[in-house]
Amino acid sequence: MTARTTRAGSRLAPYLFVLPALVLFAAFRLYPIGWSFVLSLFHTEGMEQSWTGLGNYQRLVHDPLFWKALGNTLEILVIQVPVMLAIALGLAVALNSALLRWKPLFRLGFFLPVVTGLVTYGLLMGALLNPDSGAVNWLLHVLGLPEVHWLTDPFWAKVSVMLALTWHYTGYNAVIYLARLQGIPDEHYEAAAVDGAGAWRRFWHITLPGLRPALLLTVVLSTIGTLQLFDEPFIMTGGGPDNATTTIGVYLYQTGFRYFDFGYASAIGYAMVLIISVFGLIQTRLAKEED
Amino acid sequence: MGEPSRRGFLKGLGAAALAAGGAGTLSACGGSSSTGGAVTGGTGEPSGSITVWSWKNPAAELRALIPAFNAVHPKVKVTVQDIGNPAIWDKITIGMEAGGQGLGDLLHIGVDYLPNYIEKFPNGLADLSKLGAGQYSNAFAPGLWQTVSRGEKVYALPWEANAGSFFYRDDLFRKAGVDPATLATWDDVIAAGKKVKDATGTALVAIDKSASAADSANLFQLLMQLQGVFYFNTDGKITLNSPEAVRALTLVKELNDAGLVVDVQGSPGTSTYDAAVKAGKVAVCPDPAWYGGYMETFATDSSGDWRVMLPPAVTAGGSRSAIVNSTHLAVAGTSQNQRAAFAFAEFALTRPESQVQIFKDKGIFPALLKAYDDPVFHQPDPFFGGQKYAEVFIAELSNPSTPTNYTADYPRALKLIDDAQTKVLLQGADPAAVLKDAAGQLAQQTHRAQA
Repeated sequence: MTARTTRAGSRLAPYLFVLPALVLFAAFRLYPIGWSFVLSLFHTEGMEQSWTGLGNYQRLVHDPLFWKALGNTLEILVIQVPVMLAIALGLAVALNSALLRWKPLFRLGFFLPVVTGLVTYGLLMGALLNPDSGAVNWLLHVLGLPEVHWLTDPFWAKVSVMLALTWHYTGYNAVIYLARLQGIPDEHYEAAAVDGAGAWRRFWHITLPGLRPALLLTVVLSTIGTLQLFDEPFIMTGGGPDNATTTIGVYLYQTGFRYFDFGYASAIGYAMVLIISVFGLIQTRLAKEED
Repeated sequence: MGEPSRRGFLKGLGAAALAAGGAGTLSACGGSSSTGGAVTGGTGEPSGSITVWSWKNPAAELRALIPAFNAVHPKVKVTVQDIGNPAIWDKITIGMEAGGQGLGDLLHIGVDYLPNYIEKFPNGLADLSKLGAGQYSNAFAPGLWQTVSRGEKVYALPWEANAGSFFYRDDLFRKAGVDPATLATWDDVIAAGKKVKDATGTALVAIDKSASAADSANLFQLLMQLQGVFYFNTDGKITLNSPEAVRALTLVKELNDAGLVVDVQGSPGTSTYDAAVKAGKVAVCPDPAWYGGYMETFATDSSGDWRVMLPPAVTAGGSRSAIVNSTHLAVAGTSQNQRAAFAFAEFALTRPESQVQIFKDKGIFPALLKAYDDPVFHQPDPFFGGQKYAEVFIAELSNPSTPTNYTADYPRALKLIDDAQTKVLLQGADPAAVLKDAAGQLAQQTHRAQA
């Protein structure tokens, strides 16, 4: 064997190693992504397909339910995500505090909801928010407050979904912040303390800047996650009442798997991709400009 | 009928459907294979292994039939799977969309899905006329053969025929001094309901006001069918805002405005609805026939208090009969053992002994006319205070009721009706206005004309 072929062989080796992953990626990711774009150009119902070009996208623009779903999704994005991230930030700082004892216990407690299975989660939320026998209404009753129709009133259904999301994902974000917090050198705090900076100023000038990459990460991840939101509204309210909690994800599911209109569902999917890309771009741009 | 067993399945489905641009993920692998033409499974004595997809009670009943079936057809190995309802609809849909991959051989399908599968997946279900199903065209309650066939082709055999019913608490009506026999129309029902509520504090019916279950508008649908209309007419035109529909939704609104409706999250067969019935929160269950047999299994405390009668008419002298839904067994077009699968369906559905057994165990009401000759359908039932309750349904099913054209767009219509009813019940919207709106949206979504 000459030196030349050996080199060629060794150059090929990494490609051979990634080949299985690439093949799987192409088969289960690229192909469906490409095929669903093709589908979005057809009017497909069941096995019948007819070319419609951009017809599905035109239909989307004139579809009141799509706009309603988009509005619902954005409402959750604008209200729930900032609240959740603020709580996560507070939790992370508290959990990182030298004053707190039994830290692992608290960390476990806040992270548990993240790993809770969907079935348990749905049952739990349903049981807690049940208007007749739920613990939340019982608590309201004990406090002398009127009972709330959590899942059956359009306004409160939206609130319920946001509460569930917050319960589910706050711990996840807190853990990301916590990891980052532990990377901020103690000397910075010590130096600031020596200079006479109070707790609030230390948080504002050391903790927050130190957390920037983690903040950006969680904002982008939460934005993508919220725009794709499906599980919570689907399980808790089925998108109701009267579409108050229908998100784009839920609408996509209904269109594809209830109405068998896969072409239109694909168009909804691509609209979702477009919206997510735009949001992602804006957020990374904003983050860069501040640098 | 429903049970919340879809969640585990959805965990996977949700992830797949939500993968970026993944709308077509699950449909990507299929759409072209076609095996609808020839009958599979050889000739002569049926043999091979078949898998049957059903849910809960019906699945248990099919499983119980296997030994008797094997005594006749020893070479067929039958496996019955409880897929769960409504999970089964998603599973069948995905299988169909994947060109029939991974489907069971024999599928239990409700009337709300069957037309959709027949029309949108032309080869998804085997043509049973090639297996000799034609001989049963007059064996079932009138109207059902039209539901399962298209011209010469037969896509399924009818199993359950659910007549619309009026299960009521005799004790509460008596306490209020109302004789149910005098309830001829739904206006009478509302008047009586007020008396029952005053005397006993019990509301009349339970409705899922926020429509968390897809079949939340059951009562509305029954009230429409009693007037001989449905969401579509026989030409497939939209009749959602017909005067009959407005009348039906107005009645539902009047019930609600009179405080006679209990809000439950779920429809008959879900834990919340059943719990309200069990706890005695309602005096009437205007539900499909199957619910009677089902009630006996859980509402044991109120055993003896229940009676059943035909649903009152909407207009004086109007019809009191309606087949509100039905379920069927269909053979998958891709099944490798269509003959064996059909043989099992035939054994379960066309043989009176099988249907009698199933009715005895779980009260699932058969469409098979011959089964009604059995004494079990003519026995006094202690749960219904000694009433021969099945005879009420036999009389109803033997009447020709108006054929209902579900069409492939039924799921869309159902969703729009759910939302319309929610607007009426939760926000006090005007029935005529929301129905006009719903009909317009349905026309826009489906390109169907309005009647």
